[in-house]
Amino acid sequence: MTEEKQTTRENGLKRAFQFLTSMPFAIALLILLALACAGASMITQGQTLNWYVAQYGERTASLIMTLSLDDAFHSWWFILISAFLCLNLLFCNLIRLPQLISRTKNEKNVNVTAVTAAGVSVEGIEDAEKAFARLRMPKPEEGQDEEGRKTLYASKNRIGLWGAWVCHLGILLLILGFSLGQFTKEDYAVYGVPGQTKPVGETGLQLTIDDFEIGLREDDTVEQYTARITASNGAGREEKAEISVNHPARMFGMTFYQNSTGWAARIGITKDGQYLQDAVLCTGEFVPVKDKEDLIVYFNAFYPDYELVQGQGPMTRSGNLNNPAYLYTVYYRGEVLGMNVLMPDEVLTIDEYEVTFSEPQPYTVIQVKRDAFTPLAFAGGILVMLGLILAFYLIPVRVLARKEEDGTWTFYGLCQKGGPLFRERFENDLKELSHAAS
Amino acid sequence: MLQAENILFTSTIIIYFLAMILYFVFITTKKEGLSKMAVILEIAGLVLHTGAIVCRGIGAGRLPLTNQYEFATAFAWGISLVSLIFILRFKFPVLGVFAAPIVLLIIGYAAMQSREVRELMPALKSSWLGFHVSTAIIAYGSFGVSFVLGIIFLMRDKMKDSSFFGQHIPSREKLDLIGYRSVALGLLFLTFTIITGAIWAEQAWGSYWSWDPKETWSLVTWIVYAIYLHLRLRRGWEGKAAAVFAIIGFICVIFTYIGVNTLLPGMHSYG
Repeated sequence: MTEEKQTTRENGLKRAFQFLTSMPFAIALLILLALACAGASMITQGQTLNWYVAQYGERTASLIMTLSLDDAFHSWWFILISAFLCLNLLFCNLIRLPQLISRTKNEKNVNVTAVTAAGVSVEGIEDAEKAFARLRMPKPEEGQDEEGRKTLYASKNRIGLWGAWVCHLGILLLILGFSLGQFTKEDYAVYGVPGQTKPVGETGLQLTIDDFEIGLREDDTVEQYTARITASNGAGREEKAEISVNHPARMFGMTFYQNSTGWAARIGITKDGQYLQDAVLCTGEFVPVKDKEDLIVYFNAFYPDYELVQGQGPMTRSGNLNNPAYLYTVYYRGEVLGMNVLMPDEVLTIDEYEVTFSEPQPYTVIQVKRDAFTPLAFAGGILVMLGLILAFYLIPVRVLARKEEDGTWTFYGLCQKGGPLFRERFENDLKELSHAAS
Repeated sequence: MLQAENILFTSTIIIYFLAMILYFVFITTKKEGLSKMAVILEIAGLVLHTGAIVCRGIGAGRLPLTNQYEFATAFAWGISLVSLIFILRFKFPVLGVFAAPIVLLIIGYAAMQSREVRELMPALKSSWLGFHVSTAIIAYGSFGVSFVLGIIFLMRDKMKDSSFFGQHIPSREKLDLIGYRSVALGLLFLTFTIITGAIWAEQAWGSYWSWDPKETWSLVTWIVYAIYLHLRLRRGWEGKAAAVFAIIGFICVIFTYIGVNTLLPGMHSYG
């Protein structure tokens, strides 16, 4: 009874393993993955519950949050599908490896029965050497069949048998490299205006923006964003680089990218007419008033060529500094005191404090990244390509020629992936050389 | 040069239209000679089309592959090129009967887009642009052909082998194999497109994969064709089911190109 139970359990496990490594399961996973990606692309990712409520209503928003559709590509179910796909690919490749090695060896060795039984044939060939050349086959090896007749055998593109295997290995490495990169990579954004020095996350590096330039064409469109930067490690070592879009630089084992840009301005605050503080603020930043820290001035946006359009609110006509305007919000103890647009010659008065904005200038956003697994992912990508080339364009072909009693040769060709196209080509190529056809 | 492009582009549309009419007349009047004339006209159209694209490139002083108009016309060029290769390689003019309207539809879509030449934004100024987009054109062209072959495959089942149409269409087995060849070409080039795009994105955006809608839908398209390849290996699923997936795959291609740009804007919103 116990033995019976154990056998049943073993059979169950065997069946589960077979299913896990089966092609129907792989197809089901691929369909699920495609549906998951397509569905997730329809929903804006990474927003808050309130945002989804405003967009889709309460019920849909709640469903989105419950199913983690707000961050679908990092959700448990997406990771689960990917993990099952990896397992399927891994086991599939492991199981197929011995079979592939043996098939590759067999393909090299002549198997008269296999080729003559399953292949296409053309009789009456007089010049076997010419026929092998016409079929673009390598030099054949001599042998004998079971009845002692002379045979010539050649095979090509055996490496093509490995196409799917290499492709699967590539996909595995790609997923592995990408996943490990997601968990281990360091990715920071440092933004500022020329002259500012800021820390790069927790790397211990300091980044100084020496210069930032927006190259404009005659029609005012942007040609390039270029930043000159200095990175220092706190131990007195310094490295300098010039970076622009598409031209990152490597310093201290990290890659520095010219990522984005925006507007910054100098905010000045006086109290009872006396200087209190000033600072350079990028849009989206705020400053607490020095001697009244629960009073905060937030720099919302900057309009270089300001225009107030009825029904649309503040806008900018161009990127030129023709009519600069600053949008601000003042908070006191977390409550909004006021929000408005301030022109350069205007002063915002809050009790005894006066606030002005001046010196608008572009700031740069430098992305600093280190991902040790990027090369693994790219190696995976290259293997996928290599695997596809092997699978699609190096199709294994086996050709056997057997000498008949009348001295002519019968040619047999076998190409499992070639089907009727191979048959047609084989016959057409040998037609002219065939004594039987003429 | 841009004026020459305009003339060549208009001539291309006219020649493609005439080729399509000839294909239709061939199939209705059953006169063999017309199919040869249609193929010759399509070749002439492709030559003019190539000229239009080259003139656009010289006039713009850059690769003409960076906006909706430029990519649409290149997409039509890709389908035209791949379909002609398949027509000539497999002696299969009926393919042109179905491919010509698709080429015309896509080039018609291109004609509706703005043809204004704009300077490139900094992110597009990269030597990877040529590799990334040109491989996409061949991939999309091949998928366009596999879509047509999928339709022909499904139609073939409803026709008698003895009919004129039936005589000019290869056997089920051969048709399935030709469809597989076009998907294989497309999938290989789509893989090139995705990988060159990833390398470029790593340089330009600091991230080789960001789940941008265009990237995501390229992956969806890749997966659909991977399903197609696996289905063909299953007994009983080759042929009809594979043909259906070839059709679904091309719907994904069209959505990746037009749908994503119009409905799901992201980092690829320019192209």
